[in-house]
Amino acid sequence: MDPLIMIGAITAGGLLIGGGVHFIPVGGAPAAIATATGVGTGTAMLAAGGGMTGLITAAAMTGSPLWLILAAGAVGSALMLAVTMLVGNWVYVWGVGCVPASAKVDKDPITGYPQDKYVTPGTEGHGIPTVCFVSGVIGGLLGGIGGGLAYWAVYESLVTLPAYAPLIGGQTSIVAAMLAGIFALGLFFINAVIASYNIGGTIEGFHDPKFKRLPRGALGCIIASVVTGLIGVLLLKGGVF
Amino acid sequence: MSAAGGGGGVSAVDPKKTLALGVIGGILGIYATPINPILGPLLAALGAVCGIIWGADAIARVASYGLGTGVPSIGYMSLAIAIVGVLAGLAGGLMIGSAYVLIAPLLGIVLAVILGGVVALVGKKIIGMKIPILVSCTMELAGASAVSVLGFSAAIAGSFAMPAILTSVVSTGFIGLLFILSTMAIQHPFNACLGPQENRVRTLKLAASTGFISMAIVGLLAMGFSKAWWVIAIIGAIAWFISIRAFIEASKEEAASIAWSGMWPKEEEH
Repeated sequence: MDPLIMIGAITAGGLLIGGGVHFIPVGGAPAAIATATGVGTGTAMLAAGGGMTGLITAAAMTGSPLWLILAAGAVGSALMLAVTMLVGNWVYVWGVGCVPASAKVDKDPITGYPQDKYVTPGTEGHGIPTVCFVSGVIGGLLGGIGGGLAYWAVYESLVTLPAYAPLIGGQTSIVAAMLAGIFALGLFFINAVIASYNIGGTIEGFHDPKFKRLPRGALGCIIASVVTGLIGVLLLKGGVF
Repeated sequence: MSAAGGGGGVSAVDPKKTLALGVIGGILGIYATPINPILGPLLAALGAVCGIIWGADAIARVASYGLGTGVPSIGYMSLAIAIVGVLAGLAGGLMIGSAYVLIAPLLGIVLAVILGGVVALVGKKIIGMKIPILVSCTMELAGASAVSVLGFSAAIAGSFAMPAILTSVVSTGFIGLLFILSTMAIQHPFNACLGPQENRVRTLKLAASTGFISMAIVGLLAMGFSKAWWVIAIIGAIAWFISIRAFIEASKEEAASIAWSGMWPKEEEH
């Protein structure tokens, strides 16, 4: 594969990952004590869960057409985040004993249910209401597509080199798959943390006022991903073999 | 989210000392790998521990300003940067012949530092983060992470050449484990010790213990690849015991001083 296409794919992947993180309801420490809406952990942990699952499902499709790899990555990431949010909600509802409600909007934009009546005074909401859940699934889909795209680009570039060629024709080259996987995971974390700096740690989803900061985060992710892609070209053009 | 907030206090440990420990100790350790099949990997693993102590000090300096995303996030990010940089550096540019293998680790560390600088500049100029030492500390962190990943990889593979690392670290999947292992070792000390009474000497004692227990685990990972695996594992375990004991004693001493003086200070001291 042409290195320029690889840099382009890595940049697009990084942009999708960084954009996707803006959709995920990251609640952070306040959510962990049920005083803010979202999943009660930081972006890095959600990126680790969603990103790694997406990369594993994408890598399982290695050798398939591109759309299948992207779809597998998207479904893997979205499923992981959906399960995290669902089980988190069980804990909030039956463990903590609070109603999933958001203080950022008066009515849930999707179900239309009133929110403000159910928000405990002194908190910024609690649990994961429908709109946050849907937003999180969208974020997982975008992140999974981005991770899958970067994985596909690096893998397809690597297997053309003799050192990484599959031992038996038509099979997967494990070294190339691992190298592409860890590279895509690195890209995932870099962009997830840049996006997380942009949202200042916590966000509820696309209905949150902080979501308006998306363009700035996207620009940051594009620049960081282009540089990551440029460095990644050394993997191909180094000529160690 | 970060409880540290205040930032910019005078550290009990001179940052230049940890920087020197990480750069000199780490790079010497990595370059000592080929000298002897037993001693070399051991020195590489010790170099990685130097890198972890350096990284733990750098993360403590930058995260004491309150990143807003928690301490672990910058740890994960710097390890991600380090792995991208190290792998590209090891594979990269065989333009100057066989001498290249010798400069490859250095190139990997430099690439990681450059990428760290770019990401920190993005954070500062585009995202608008207001941490004065963000750029320098992220570059230091990326370098420290690169030293620790390279050192542990060289300890497992018994060499810092790309083909050896590809067979024994990358294709076995240990690279993913090293990613998380080094992240935890670098970010945990400050994440556990942060607060108004944070004492950098105590934090670094914990950093030494997380580094050495990582080294013991790396020794076990090297079982199938290196003759030195048991040396690395045993020395790592003994050093871990000594450092965690020093850390627990330091914690008890400082906890007792708080208990006897009665109350927590009303304001953060730094």
